[in-house]
Amino acid sequence: MSKLGRLWNSLATPKRIPRFYSVILGILLLAGFLVPLALNDNQLYPRPAPQLQIDEKDPLAPYDRGGVPLKEPGIVRSQYPEFSEMAGMSTSYLSPIAISVSNTTIYYGTSIYSSPGGLIDTILYYTRGFDTILESSILMMAFVVASWVALHFTMRRREEE
Amino acid sequence: MDIILLGQQLLGYIPLGDIVLYLAPLNLFMFAGSLAFTTLIAISRTETQVEAGIGTLKDNEVKVNKDEFKIRRFLAIVCGLATAGAMITGDLFNFTLFVCLIGIVNIGIVSAVKQIDVLDAAFQYGLVAMIAVLPLFGGAAMILASTGSLSMLEIVNIPTNAMMIFGSLLLFLGVAGETGVAPFYATKAEMFRTPGSPFLLIIHLSSLLVIIRVIEILLIINKPF
Repeated sequence: MSKLGRLWNSLATPKRIPRFYSVILGILLLAGFLVPLALNDNQLYPRPAPQLQIDEKDPLAPYDRGGVPLKEPGIVRSQYPEFSEMAGMSTSYLSPIAISVSNTTIYYGTSIYSSPGGLIDTILYYTRGFDTILESSILMMAFVVASWVALHFTMRRREEE
Repeated sequence: MDIILLGQQLLGYIPLGDIVLYLAPLNLFMFAGSLAFTTLIAISRTETQVEAGIGTLKDNEVKVNKDEFKIRRFLAIVCGLATAGAMITGDLFNFTLFVCLIGIVNIGIVSAVKQIDVLDAAFQYGLVAMIAVLPLFGGAAMILASTGSLSMLEIVNIPTNAMMIFGSLLLFLGVAGETGVAPFYATKAEMFRTPGSPFLLIIHLSSLLVIIRVIEILLIINKPF
């Protein structure tokens, strides 16, 4: 009984909590190797096989989703098509700079140009746009906290002393 | 709209593309409760702690200065709004993002204090919150891989398999780390030992509401009944 009490007491030390948490997480992840895989082939956000487009020397590989901008949708399957009727209409849009770059190299899809302005991702900005808003607000809150601490503690430390 | 979720008739839904927020009685009640508490916090002022001096008649007041008050109120409001959002979201990944936002903001609320032991506890809590992101998003990704969907209105119709159970265990461990429930409570309990009461209470309220909500989500995923 006293051993159990000592165990509870040791859990009350904040310094031990990250270690304790990591041990539990490690045990659970190791147990995960025993869980049989049951993958669903009918995925929500389909993609072609990774090496397929690279072997075809497609300059947009591996992000080519096909389609004609504003006329024909690319391969985007959304959970509720009735809530995002225009899904896939902008997946193949390339800016003039992006077109000229993709004509000169076959590695365009993996370059920095493939960010917005080049290949606009319908999933990120349209069908799951709210997630993107939340992600950037998490980043913003982290910056708010860090800059407040820097302005009020790190920079004012000398004044207080 | 004729969907029944855990015995609750849905009153309606808010579609945002693939992310559908659903309005069921329990979720709406928690949403309204969180918003009401956030409003109370936004219009209130902080407490002042009084430390009795030993051997003298002088009392030492521990006050919160204005800069600290402002940043804490802002972060407490963000925390309340994130909690309210986590109550009605009908999308698994969206829920994990809301929980992550609550975790970051909780660290921020106590980061402005000057007591060193409180800051130490907040640092340890931050470490746990960062580690907890792995099981949180990993669990959601595993459920996506084995069901092919992230919307809870779809998952409720898919029969449960072993991988979904493992995914939801990971998800629960992630939420337990982010909200600091037992047996990981020690870091959070230390964080409360600082003046500025109404803003600190939102840390507590958000973890309580998120735990209720994650239990509902686990029931939806695993369908034990």
